[in-house]
Amino acid sequence: MLSLMILIPLACLLLISFLPLKGKRVAFAVVMALAFFQIYAVFSPSIMANRHLPGLASVFNFTLAVDSLSRIMLLCIGIVIFIALLAAGPFVKEEDKRFYFSGLMILELMGLNGVVMVRDIFSMYVFWEVAAAASFVLIALEKKRDPLEGAFKYLIFSSVATVFVLSAIAIILLISGSTSFTDIRVALLVTPHSNLIILAVGVFLAGLFMKAGVMPFHGYLPDAYASAPAPVSILLAGVVTKTLGVYTAMRIVIDIFGFSTALKSILLCIGLISAIFGALAAMGQKDLKRLLAYSSISQVGYIFLGFGCGTPLGIAAAIFHIFNHTVFKSLLFVNAAAVEDRLGTLDMGRMSGLASRMPITGTTSVLASLSLSGVPPLAGFWSKLFIILALWQSGLYGVAVTAVLTSLLTLAYMLLLQRRVFFGTPEKNMAGVVEAGFNLTLPAVILAILIAGVGLFFPYVVHTVIFPVVSF
Amino acid sequence: MPFDTLLVSIVGVPVLGSFFLPLAGRIHERLRHFLAFVLVAFSFLAVFRLSPVVFSGQVVRFSMAMPFGLHLAFAADGLAVFMALASLLVGLVIVLYSFDYISHYANRNEYDMLVVLFLGSMMGIVFSSNLIFLYIFWEMTAIVSWRLIGFFRGKTDVQRADKAFLVTFGGALVMLIGFLMLYQQTGSFDLTVIKEHFKTQAFPNIVLVLVLFGILSKSATLPFHTWLADAGVAPSPVTALLHAAVLVKIGVYVFARLFVATFPIEAVWHVILPWVAAVSSIVSAGAALRETDLKRIIAYSTVSQIGFIFFGLSLGIEVAVAGGLLYILMHGMAKAGLFLCAGIIEQGTKTKDITRLGGLFSTMPLTGTAFLFCAASVMGLPPFGGFFSKFLIFLGCVQGGQMMFAFVFLFAALMTILYLLRVFTIVFFGETKIAAREGSAVMVACVLLLAFLSLAAGIWVRYPLDMVQQATAQMIRVIS
Repeated sequence: MLSLMILIPLACLLLISFLPLKGKRVAFAVVMALAFFQIYAVFSPSIMANRHLPGLASVFNFTLAVDSLSRIMLLCIGIVIFIALLAAGPFVKEEDKRFYFSGLMILELMGLNGVVMVRDIFSMYVFWEVAAAASFVLIALEKKRDPLEGAFKYLIFSSVATVFVLSAIAIILLISGSTSFTDIRVALLVTPHSNLIILAVGVFLAGLFMKAGVMPFHGYLPDAYASAPAPVSILLAGVVTKTLGVYTAMRIVIDIFGFSTALKSILLCIGLISAIFGALAAMGQKDLKRLLAYSSISQVGYIFLGFGCGTPLGIAAAIFHIFNHTVFKSLLFVNAAAVEDRLGTLDMGRMSGLASRMPITGTTSVLASLSLSGVPPLAGFWSKLFIILALWQSGLYGVAVTAVLTSLLTLAYMLLLQRRVFFGTPEKNMAGVVEAGFNLTLPAVILAILIAGVGLFFPYVVHTVIFPVVSF
Repeated sequence: MPFDTLLVSIVGVPVLGSFFLPLAGRIHERLRHFLAFVLVAFSFLAVFRLSPVVFSGQVVRFSMAMPFGLHLAFAADGLAVFMALASLLVGLVIVLYSFDYISHYANRNEYDMLVVLFLGSMMGIVFSSNLIFLYIFWEMTAIVSWRLIGFFRGKTDVQRADKAFLVTFGGALVMLIGFLMLYQQTGSFDLTVIKEHFKTQAFPNIVLVLVLFGILSKSATLPFHTWLADAGVAPSPVTALLHAAVLVKIGVYVFARLFVATFPIEAVWHVILPWVAAVSSIVSAGAALRETDLKRIIAYSTVSQIGFIFFGLSLGIEVAVAGGLLYILMHGMAKAGLFLCAGIIEQGTKTKDITRLGGLFSTMPLTGTAFLFCAASVMGLPPFGGFFSKFLIFLGCVQGGQMMFAFVFLFAALMTILYLLRVFTIVFFGETKIAAREGSAVMVACVLLLAFLSLAAGIWVRYPLDMVQQATAQMIRVIS
């Protein structure tokens, strides 16, 4: 039944394309329904069962499978698409643009679902490109100078990443003669230390690092995030780079390559660089969305730190942090969208004391900021604590200590954001500002409840959702 | 109610209840005030209810299993109950005082919520017997104090709030690394388990140093003390709550909890730590002599007095430890009184600069008297409560043969008398520069109550002393 997760969006996409012009107004509702379906499907055992739909094998021949890792990613994708759709209202106004936007969102959903579920390296690549192509167009939805520049940069970086990944796939095909994960794994075990395999792993990972936007491969990311329309930034920061870069890296390392000492040190090294320099760069930003983009880079660094331990606890912590990052970073981008909607600018120098004018946005942003900084008892604290515990258990004391102290940098830039934007006295030019509309406060409240809820009920979340990840 | 449930509710009721205060505030201002008072009073009464059991030598425990050894565990022993009583007593008076003080500022809903949440988290710190939960509640107090210090939302207010948050958060992170090292050696965050482990082996010095970072930054001891004076921009009841009574005591309490009551530390630390305390005490007393901002003077005085407490606890002599504990109570009441008086003066005259103040005694006799009483207690004049706590620490010094320290601290005590008398004479005597009327009845009643308590605690010193003796005996017995 897993193929439903790809076939239903595909059917919907075709359906809304063939509707008459009037009917295209329902496009938004269709995507919203798809997102709902996705969230429901993750918790429905019958849809998640690894069973083929009868009669489909001849036209739709993918090996699909889900484990707990994929399910968490599917859940994140569902949540973020839903939130992005809610927030899109004030930003995508024209009727035909709304239609394009919905279509692209469905395409994105399909691509990401595919990446998460396929167990075949070439199909993975195909879905990977579907999702990436949808993102390029989404970023450039407003045909203005900045969004086009952002999209172009993203396109260039992605093409390079594509070349890398394709060459790696070619080499792997050369060695194993098959593209399915299990076959490749077996084939690679025959000569695990051959130079060709090391080259393939290196090139593959380099491509994925570019997609994940970790330092020093991050050049496009702040531009892409900052210039995209608000709902698209939510989507990009929430799931796109995490799925295409981080998840894919985790998947191929866990399922195909396995952890080696060299691989672990590469992951840790990249993670550490990203975490520290991302945080430092965030401190110097004047644009709200750029600050959040650099903070994303820094948090992806944390995810790689947990993952780089290679221990079950580390992998679980990394997944947990992906989930938490999805929630709090989406929330912060929703807040940024609310501010942009009311002020028409993202320049933090022109903001002050907005919490008193926009109480819901202000309060939820405090929760998100503190969760991001890893302040207890919010969700982000637990995942960071597990990452640090994992590092400590692996005997990487220096890395663990640096990771702990980087939290201080994180808190510093988040406090900077709070001080400039929300916490303070509003100046005269803020006089007419009122709270953003319902479609920006509702997602903020939903996500804030998630942050506080996961933080307070973490034992339950960890046992039922996060732990099963490492039981394979 | 069974005692373990009671113990959980001491922490749980104010922490969870605080989130209903903004809702109550939407219905009616009075309802919110009433509810805030009830929440804190509930905790106070619950601790009071526990105290006879605990002081008869029993330890009340509560524990709930969680993964990774992160058990939610609370334990109430003599030390915890004494600390809880001391902070809630002062907290109650401050909550009462706030009702009038805060009545004409914005964001009142947030204020009441934060104050109650703060007291609840404080109870969490006091009763936690699991290091991770100790850390969580510790950071919750940091979040709350960040919002409270920046309460007036001015540019400098928020900057200083950020400073306080960053300094204490940084210290706490270093402390967390120390906790992780303990976890690595013992496989648990539970204090009882860790204690068993270190009965047979020496406690690692590196952990002690790391945890000290957290303690010193929270207790605003040299070299992490500057945030405290800067945080004086907060509303006065908040400064009283944070700087005098509760927040800064967290550090010394955790020191007592970990390094007096739980782990034996090497003898050399009983020399190094008193020196740190002594330097902190004298340097900040000097700063208090030079400052002209009323609240900064009292804040530096707090840094100096925290030095005394830290000194008493770190000497490793039973009488001095008892003195340090007693000091927490006495100083909390008297210093909260001073900050609240400063709040009345500030609201009446609209300035905190003592060079622009004078002759206030004629117009504010009640506040002046309360200020004098509280100051006398901080100075350590008999028969005020502060005398007994200082005396016990000196007694400990002499018993331990540390005459050098005794002299250093006599000097610091002398400086205390100097700077407090200086403030008192400049503000209350001399020619009247700004005429001001007495504060509102509730506010004045609160400061008078604290002044009376400071005096009463000295006259009936037997009762707090009994508690302190029991608590100390429990702590020392546990160790050996």
